[in-house]
Amino acid sequence: MAENIDLTLLDKTLEDYASVKGSLITVLQHAQDIYGYLPEEIIKHISDKMSIPVAKIMGVATFYTQFRLKPVGKYLIMLCKGTACHVNNSDLIEKTINETLGISDGETTEDGLFSLKNVACLGCCSLSPVMMINGETYGSLTPDKVIGILNTLRQNALEEGNEQ
Amino acid sequence: MINITIDGKKLTVEENTTILEAASENGIKIPNLCYDGRVETYGACGLCVVEAEGSAKLLRACSTKCSESMVINTKSDRVIRARKTALELLISDHDGDCKAPCSLECPANTDCQGYVGLIANGEYKQAVRLIKERIAFPSSIGRICPHPCEKKCRRKYVDEPVSIAALKGFVGDMDLASDDRYIPPVEPDTGKRVAVIGGGPGGLTAAFFLRRMGHGVTVFDMMEKMGGMLRYGIPEYRLPKSILDREIKQIEDLGVNFKNNVKIGRDISLDELKKDYDAVVVALGAWNSSKMRIAGEDCEGVIGGIDFLREVALGNRPEIGGRVAICGGGNTAMDACRTAVRLGAKEVRVLYRRTRDEMPAEDIEIKEAMEEGVDFCFLSSPCEIISENGKLKSVKIQKYELGEPDESGRRRPKAVDGSVEEVEFDTVIMAIGQYPELEGFEGLEISAKNTILADSGSFRTSADGVFAVGDVSNRGASIAIEAIGEAQKASVVIDRYLNGEDVKYKKPFYVERTLPDGYFDKFEKAVRAEMPVLPADERKNSFKEVALGISEETAVNEAMRCLECGCHDYYECKLIEYANEYDVKPQKFSGEKHFRNNEDKSSLIIRNADKCILCGLCVRVCEEREGVTALGLIGRGFDTIVNPELSLPLDLSSCTFCGACVDVCPTGALKEKQPIKKQLAVEEESRKSVCELCDKLCPIDIRYIGDTVTRIKPGDKNTLLCKKGKFDLTDKLNGAQK
Amino acid sequence: MKIVVGEGSCGIAAGAAKVYSAFEKLTEKYDGIDLGFTGCNGMCFLEPIVDIYDDNGDLTRLVKVSENDCEAIIKAVSENSLEDLEALKISKEDEEFLNKQTRIALRHCGLINPEDIDEYLACDGYKAVEKVLKTMTAQQVIEEIKVSGLAGRGGAGFPTWFKWNAARNSEGSEKYLICNADEGDPGAFMDRAVIESDPHSLIEGMLIGAYAIGAGEMVVYVRAEYPLAVKRLEKAIKQAEERGFLGENILSSGFSCKMRIKAGAGAFVCGEETALIESLEGNRGMPRLKPPFPAQEGYWHKPSNINNVETYANVAWIILNGGEKFAQMGTENSKGTKVFALTGKIKRGGLVEIPMGMTLREVIFDIGGGIRDSKKFKAVQMGGPSGGCIPESLLDTVIDYKALAQTGAIMGSGGMVVMDESTCMVGMAKFFLDFTTKESCGKCVHCRLGTKRMYEMLTRIVEGNGRPGDIELLEELCYSVKDGALCGLGQTAPNPVLTTLKYFRDEYEAHINNKKCPAGECSALIKYVIDSSKCVGCTKCAKNCPVNAISGKVKQPHAIDADKCIKCGKCRGNCNFSAVEVR
Repeated sequence: MAENIDLTLLDKTLEDYASVKGSLITVLQHAQDIYGYLPEEIIKHISDKMSIPVAKIMGVATFYTQFRLKPVGKYLIMLCKGTACHVNNSDLIEKTINETLGISDGETTEDGLFSLKNVACLGCCSLSPVMMINGETYGSLTPDKVIGILNTLRQNALEEGNEQ
Repeated sequence: MINITIDGKKLTVEENTTILEAASENGIKIPNLCYDGRVETYGACGLCVVEAEGSAKLLRACSTKCSESMVINTKSDRVIRARKTALELLISDHDGDCKAPCSLECPANTDCQGYVGLIANGEYKQAVRLIKERIAFPSSIGRICPHPCEKKCRRKYVDEPVSIAALKGFVGDMDLASDDRYIPPVEPDTGKRVAVIGGGPGGLTAAFFLRRMGHGVTVFDMMEKMGGMLRYGIPEYRLPKSILDREIKQIEDLGVNFKNNVKIGRDISLDELKKDYDAVVVALGAWNSSKMRIAGEDCEGVIGGIDFLREVALGNRPEIGGRVAICGGGNTAMDACRTAVRLGAKEVRVLYRRTRDEMPAEDIEIKEAMEEGVDFCFLSSPCEIISENGKLKSVKIQKYELGEPDESGRRRPKAVDGSVEEVEFDTVIMAIGQYPELEGFEGLEISAKNTILADSGSFRTSADGVFAVGDVSNRGASIAIEAIGEAQKASVVIDRYLNGEDVKYKKPFYVERTLPDGYFDKFEKAVRAEMPVLPADERKNSFKEVALGISEETAVNEAMRCLECGCHDYYECKLIEYANEYDVKPQKFSGEKHFRNNEDKSSLIIRNADKCILCGLCVRVCEEREGVTALGLIGRGFDTIVNPELSLPLDLSSCTFCGACVDVCPTGALKEKQPIKKQLAVEEESRKSVCELCDKLCPIDIRYIGDTVTRIKPGDKNTLLCKKGKFDLTDKLNGAQK
Repeated sequence: MKIVVGEGSCGIAAGAAKVYSAFEKLTEKYDGIDLGFTGCNGMCFLEPIVDIYDDNGDLTRLVKVSENDCEAIIKAVSENSLEDLEALKISKEDEEFLNKQTRIALRHCGLINPEDIDEYLACDGYKAVEKVLKTMTAQQVIEEIKVSGLAGRGGAGFPTWFKWNAARNSEGSEKYLICNADEGDPGAFMDRAVIESDPHSLIEGMLIGAYAIGAGEMVVYVRAEYPLAVKRLEKAIKQAEERGFLGENILSSGFSCKMRIKAGAGAFVCGEETALIESLEGNRGMPRLKPPFPAQEGYWHKPSNINNVETYANVAWIILNGGEKFAQMGTENSKGTKVFALTGKIKRGGLVEIPMGMTLREVIFDIGGGIRDSKKFKAVQMGGPSGGCIPESLLDTVIDYKALAQTGAIMGSGGMVVMDESTCMVGMAKFFLDFTTKESCGKCVHCRLGTKRMYEMLTRIVEGNGRPGDIELLEELCYSVKDGALCGLGQTAPNPVLTTLKYFRDEYEAHINNKKCPAGECSALIKYVIDSSKCVGCTKCAKNCPVNAISGKVKQPHAIDADKCIKCGKCRGNCNFSAVEVR
C-alpha cells in the first residue's frame, strides 16, 4: 500500500504553504483531503519540505480529532455526541451502529465499508440525534432508521462494486 | 526593586521576578515539577500554586510576577490541599516501584536490590557499606535470616527467587576476610549517653547505629559474651561463633562499650540506668521456652528448645540419650533436632501437629534435617508425658487431622478421637515458642502478651527515655531481622529524642505496582544458585558449618539474575520526595492507570513512559535548547504520551544524546544508562568538577559508586551538558581509572 | 413573486437542498417566479422552511416542506392562490417563536442571501465601516463600544472595549484581530448560523475592531465541522475584497486590513484564546500561561484581540444605532441581547435572540413552547461543559451574567439544553465529564487526571458501584480542579458536577445508597417490565428484542425475562401502548 502513495499530489499545497509559517495544520488538512488519511510517508515528506520535525507533526496530527493516521472506510459515519443528541438518546443510536456493523468508535468494518467516529457536535441540535455520513446529515434518528440507512448504503456499495 | 511579603517575611526583589524566583532566592521552598530555569515556563504541574492577598484564584508561582506590596502565602491550607491533590492525581497514573518488593518486605528495609546490583558489578565493599546502613552483621544475618525478601522476589515468577541472603553472606564474608574492610563512619561525639540492655541482634543494632550518630553507647548483657540469640540460640553449624565474634568486634571497635554478666534487677536496676544515661533501649530476647501445658511435662528429661540450644552453645554436651522427641515445627525445633543428631542421638523424631506444608520452619532446614536422618511425625503432638520416679519414660502422642483454616489461614488441627499412641523417649525437647523474662522491668507497662508495651512508631515505653525493641516488646518473639529493623528505626527516633525532638517512625510512601499476568514471560530463565552444603553424613557428626558459601563467580551470576524492580532514579525523584512531604493518599483517586510496559533501553538513555508525569520538560528542552525535537507529545488528554518521532526507539530517532532530557526529568521516566554490567538503583556519591572536553568548561557533578563513575550531571542549575560532557566523559573517566 | 429557501446547515440536513433543487427544476417552467435562498432564521424545528414574498414584499412562510410539496407550491404561487397551501403555512403559535425575539446579532439571518454582498449592502451593509473610517477615531470607536456595554459573547463576558483598548495600547505596529469561530460547546450553533447566514456582518464587525486596535490582519478560526460556514465566509471575503472593503486603503481611508480563514481541526480547548493562538500558529492547541495576555503577546507574540462571532456581529449595529441604544436593552450588568441555541426536550428548538433580562422561563416556555411529549421540565443546561444545570425552582432567574453565575451555571456561549424528567442528572454530569476528559489537552495535571478521575467516579455511580463517600470525594476533587487547572476548560469542567450535586444531590444519593436511578435512565439500575394491563400482545416488542428476552402469545400480554434483558430500551421505544415501564 505504502508504495502507491503519490507524493506529487501534495506539490501544489506545499508550494502554497510550505514557506508560510504556521501553516502546518492547513497542509495536513489538505493532505488528508487528498490521501484520505495521513500516511507516514506523507508526514515525513511534509517534515522534509516544511522543515518541521516529524515528532512535532505527529504531535499536531494526534492532537486534533480531525486527523487520521489510518485509512477509513468508504463511508465515514460521524455520530454526533453533542448535548442535545445525548439528551435525545444518541447512546442508543451508537449502540445500534455498534451492533449492526460490529464496530465501535474509531473502528472500521472488516470489509472496509464503514468507519465510525463519534464527534463532539455537528450543530444540528434541533434534528437530534444526528449523524453525518460522507457529508450528508441524517437527523431525528431511531434505531430502525439507522439500520435502514446503513443497509441502503451497503446495498449501494454492492451495486457499485458489481457495476465495475 | 519592589517590596513583597512571602509567608510573613518582608522581601525586596527586583522587578519582573516571579514568585518562585523570589521565594527560592530567599530560601523559601515552593515545590514544582514542570519548572526548570533552563527552559521556558510551562505551568502544567500545578504544584507551585500560592495564595496572594486580593486574588481569588491560586497563582502559579512559576509564572506569576511579583508586584509591589504583594502578600503571598505559600503554605495556606488551600495551597497545601491543591498541591496534595495534584500529587495524588499524578501518582494515580504513575506506574513503577519506588523500591523493590524485596526491600519493602525486609523488616529492616535492607536495600536488597541495591547490594545485589553492587555485587553484580563487583563493588563488594560498596555492597557491604549499603547493607550496613541497615544491618550491622551481614555475614551472620546472611546465614541465618529466613529472608522474607526472597519470598517477595519477583524473580520467582520467572523461575526462582534470587539468593539474596546467600549474596549478603558472601559479601559479608568477603569483607571480613579483606584487608580493606569497610568501617562505617562515626559522627563526632555528641556527649549523650545511651544504655542498651541486651546484646542480641536488636541491642547490638541499636548500639551500632546510635554510636555511628556520635552517641556514647554501653551495652549490658547478662551472658558472658555478646550476641544474644545469635550466639546462644543458633547452633554453630548454622552460624559459626568465629564469624559472629568478628562482626561483634567490629561494633565494639566503633567505640561501643560492652558490659557482660550484668543482669538488670540483679546487678543493676533500670532506674539506675535511667539516671545515669540519657536514654535506655530495652532489647532483651525471649529466653524462656513456652510450656505445652500438658500433664507431666515438668519431669526430668523434658527440656525447652531454647534452653537446650543455649546449653550446647555454652560448650556443654547435655545428656539426651538415644531417643529424642522434638515438639514444634519452627526453626528452633529444626535447630534442636539437628543439634540432637550431632550430639549422637540415634533416633530423633519431630512431632508436629500439622503437616509439612504448614511448618513455619525454613524449607531448607526441614530438608537438611531429613537428610540428617531426623524422623518427622506430622499431625502428631504429645498430650501427656509419662514419667517414672520423676524421670521421663514415654510420651502419649495424639494424632490430628486438618480442619478449617484459622485466622492466619493455616488449617486448624483437630484431634482424632481415640487415636493416641504411647512412645518411649529419653529426652523431649519442647520448641513451641519463647517468651521474655521481665524481671527487673516491673516499672514498665506490660502487655497482655507479657511483653513490654512500646509505641509502634516511637518505640517509647511507659517510662520517659526508655525505649523497647525486638522480642521483649509488643508482639514478642520473632526473627532476628525484625528486631534489627525495629532497632535501626528506633535509633533514628532516639537520636532525635536526644536532640529534644519528639518524632515517630513513619513508613514512607512508595509507589508500588501490581503486575499483570504474562508480564514475566519476556524474561529468560536462569537457574538460581543453590548454596553448596556439606554432605549429610559428614555434617551429622560435627558442628562444622553446613553451608559452604558461594564463589565470587556464582555470586556475580546470581546477582545478575535480579530483575531490578526498584526505580533507578529513586534518589533523584522529585515526585516521591513531594509525595512524602505532602503525605499523599493517592489510593482515593485510583482508576485507570497506563501500563505501557515498553521501556526503551537505548544505548545511552533509558526511557520509561509509565513513569512519565507529562511535565513536558524533556520535550521542551529538546526543542528549545537543542533544536532537535526528537521527542514530542503524542495524543492528548489522559492518553498523552511523550515519544520519539513515529514512536521509534531513541537509537533510531534523531536524538543526539545530549542527555538534557534526562537532566531535566523530575522522575525516573528518563535516566542515563550506566556504563556498567548491572544498572544500579543506589544513591551515588557526588564530586563537583569541570568538563574539560572543550573550552566551555561546563561545571559538572560526577556521580560515582566506589571506583565507577555512574553518570555525570550538570554542575549547577544553569548548565546543560552536551553528549561529550554527559556521556563520553563518563567513559573517559572510567577508562582512566581502569 | 419570490420563493426563498432557508439553507443553513440544519435546513440542509432537514432536506432544504433537495427542496431547492426541486424548485430549481420547476421554476424553469414558470416565468415570473424568482428562486432564491437565505441562511437560517433560527426556527430549526420547522425546517425546511420556504418563504414566499409577493410583489408587495409580503411574506407567506411555509414550514416542514418536502421536495414532494414543491410542485404544489409552485403551482399555487404561479396561480396566486397561496390559500391552497394552508397545510404548509406556519401556525400562529409557531410564529410566536420569532415574534418574541429581538434580533441584533441575527438581524439579517434568514432574511438575506448570504452569498450576495448586494443584499447585505441593501440593508445598510458596510455603512458602519464607512462611518468609522470616515468620521471616527479609534478611541471614539472604543468609547462607543464602552457605552454600549457589549461584553464577550463567547462565555466569559469580559467587556469588549476593555480588551480592544488593551490591545490598542500595547506597543507594536503589527497587531492581529482574531475571531473565535471554534464554537465548541456541544449544543450551541449560533456562531455557525451567523457565518452561514450573514457573513458580512462578521466581516464588518471585525473590520471595525481591527480599526480600533490598529490591526492590519484579521483571522477567523473556524471549526472544521462547519464546511458550509467556511465556504460562505470565503465567498464573502472575496466579495468584500472586490468591493474594496478589505485590502489596501479601505474606502480611501488609508486604513488597510486583510482577512483570512483558518480552519480548526477538532479540539474544544481551542476555544480558549491562548490555545487558539497556538493552533493558529500550527501547534498543538495547548493553552499558554496567562499573563501575558493576548492583548500584550498573542498571535506570533504580537498584540492580538480575540472575540467570538456573536460579539463581532453586534458591532456594526452598535456603531450605526449608537451604543446608548444597545445599552438600553438588558440589565444593570448585562447589556444588549444574547443569542441562545435552544435544544433538548423542547417543543420549539432553534436560535433565539432575546434582550438580556428576560427570564429563563420566558425563553423556555414562552418562546420554546415548553417541554415536548407532555413531560415535566427538570433542568436546563447553560453554558455546555463549562456551565451548569439550573433546576425548575430557579427558572425565574433573569438572563444576566451575574444572575446566572450565582446559580452555579454560566451564560456561556449560548447553549441552552432543556431536560425533562427522563434525564438522569448524574448521567448528565457524566456526559459532560466524558466530553471534557476527551477534550482535555493533557497539559495540566488537574485537568488531565482530575477530569478523568471525576468521570470514573461518575461512571461507577451510574453503574451502581458508587460507594459511600463518593459524593464528598467528588466535591473535593471538583474544588481542587477548579483551583488548580491551568485554563478555562479545566477550571470550569467541574461545573456540571457541582451544579447537579447542588440541585440534584438526592439523585446521586439514590444511585449510591439505594442503587436506583430516579429518572429511569441508568441501565445498570433499572429494569424493564411490561404492564400486562396495557399490553395488547401486538408482539412488536418481542420481534424487536435483540436478545429474545420477550415472550408471549399474540394478543396476550407479554413478559420480559430480566435475566436475558440487556436493557437496550428498544421494546419501550417500539411500544405503541406505553406498556413497557422502567422500574
